[in-house]
Amino acid sequence: MNRARTTVLTVAGTLLLLAAMEGVGRLGVLGESWPPLTQVVAALDDPITRDLLGRALAATATAAGTGFVAGTLVALVVAVVGALLPPLQPGLDRLAAVVNAVPLIALGPLLITTVGREGTPAVIAALAAGFAVFVAATSGLGAAGAAHRDVFRALGSSRRATLLRLQLPAAVPLLIDGLALAAPAAVLGAVVGEWFGAPRGLGVLLVSSMQNFQTDLMWAAALSAAVISLTAYAALAGLRVAAARRFV
Amino acid sequence: MAATGISESPAEATPRTTPAALELRGATKEFRLRRSRTVTALASVDLAVGNGEFVALLGPSGCGKSTVLRMLAGLDTPTRGEVLVNGGAPAELVRGHRLGIAFQEHALLPWATAYDNVALPFRVAGRPVDADRVNALLSLVGLEGFTDARPRQLSGGMRQRVAIARALVLQPEVLLLDEPFGALDAVTRRRMNFELARIWADQQITTLLVTHDVDEAVLLADRVVVLTGRPGTVRHVEDITLPRPRDKALTRDAEFHDIVDRLTALLDEGAE
Repeated sequence: MNRARTTVLTVAGTLLLLAAMEGVGRLGVLGESWPPLTQVVAALDDPITRDLLGRALAATATAAGTGFVAGTLVALVVAVVGALLPPLQPGLDRLAAVVNAVPLIALGPLLITTVGREGTPAVIAALAAGFAVFVAATSGLGAAGAAHRDVFRALGSSRRATLLRLQLPAAVPLLIDGLALAAPAAVLGAVVGEWFGAPRGLGVLLVSSMQNFQTDLMWAAALSAAVISLTAYAALAGLRVAAARRFV
Repeated sequence: MAATGISESPAEATPRTTPAALELRGATKEFRLRRSRTVTALASVDLAVGNGEFVALLGPSGCGKSTVLRMLAGLDTPTRGEVLVNGGAPAELVRGHRLGIAFQEHALLPWATAYDNVALPFRVAGRPVDADRVNALLSLVGLEGFTDARPRQLSGGMRQRVAIARALVLQPEVLLLDEPFGALDAVTRRRMNFELARIWADQQITTLLVTHDVDEAVLLADRVVVLTGRPGTVRHVEDITLPRPRDKALTRDAEFHDIVDRLTALLDEGAE
């Protein structure tokens, strides 16, 4: 019953939001730059627009996906190193905080000159996703209870065995929470990275359509980015439900 | 009423068997609170458990009895005095994976089945899992049909039995039990006591059981060491000469009740 209610409310909320968007566009209260949703969707009837958007979507999804995977792997390795070598832990935490404190937007020009236009979106996506995963992994690796740790110590477990058999499995629920936050961050990172002049992608499309007053295309690009974010988030949220059943 | 061999001096807890498998010599444990304040949990405790002996450490909560067990498991170190296991540091026994331990919190891995939980000590020790041994222990604790069950699918008593099977699976030299039945209801608890008595009769591992349940201590142990006060000190040592095997009939025995009453009175005095 509770679940059915949640579903009904979710669907109702979504429809309300879409209707509001359509309404604002129809009434023209926010001017030309806010078209009705139906008009944005209708723009996709044109095969050239559809093709353009499709290619941009694929490029952004690839950059975000690559960044997400790379950022996650690096974050996991760093978190595991911190767990295996406790003296390093405070330093690694601080390093991660410093990396996160640097505005991604400020890194853009720097990355363009170092890793190039092609690679920048993925690198920014990796930085954005990596921080979320690192924070989640670090707290996850410390999530095992005191009684469990005592049992492992009394069994004569090595640090490696404790990591593999206790800390990593115990970290799974928090880690998946972290991944669910990291996926939208990676999409955002990729789009920001594309703004700095990547050869293709939704970020590029956003900038060019804005400059050329292609309002429908701009909205289509923005909504596409939102769709990738939400899809990734939904997939990981589903995974979290499965993990909660298995690991708690 | 048979004589039950009360030691003359509480400090003289050394058994006749030599050498002691577990030994505390003047062990004192202080815990640091904030600022320079410290609290003494144990004050100069002497205790010896002989090879193959079952000793129950009985005391009210907060008397430091769990600290004794934690020091023997190498989870804590004494502030002063010595803690010896087979004449050496507890860490040596732990490093050799020769210690079995079970706590009040079952501390089973929630993501692992009963089988995998019992097999855990093999994996932690880096040894191949002896499936026959794991299955034999699961049936010893009466859980043959539950090998694939996760902890949350088991009752409290079943979880505790899995934890005890896990403690026994590597055929430890020393078994440390910290109120393993403390979270169970009275009926289940008593049933588990008789099961443990049966299992122990088979294996006769050197065992230290920490408990605040007087009946449990008398039912299971060869010797009951009463610890009282804050800081905890050994107040009394009682040899339990009740015949084994001990079963339900014993709980109706007059001598059993006599011992229980006497020890309960000691605990009561100590609490004042």
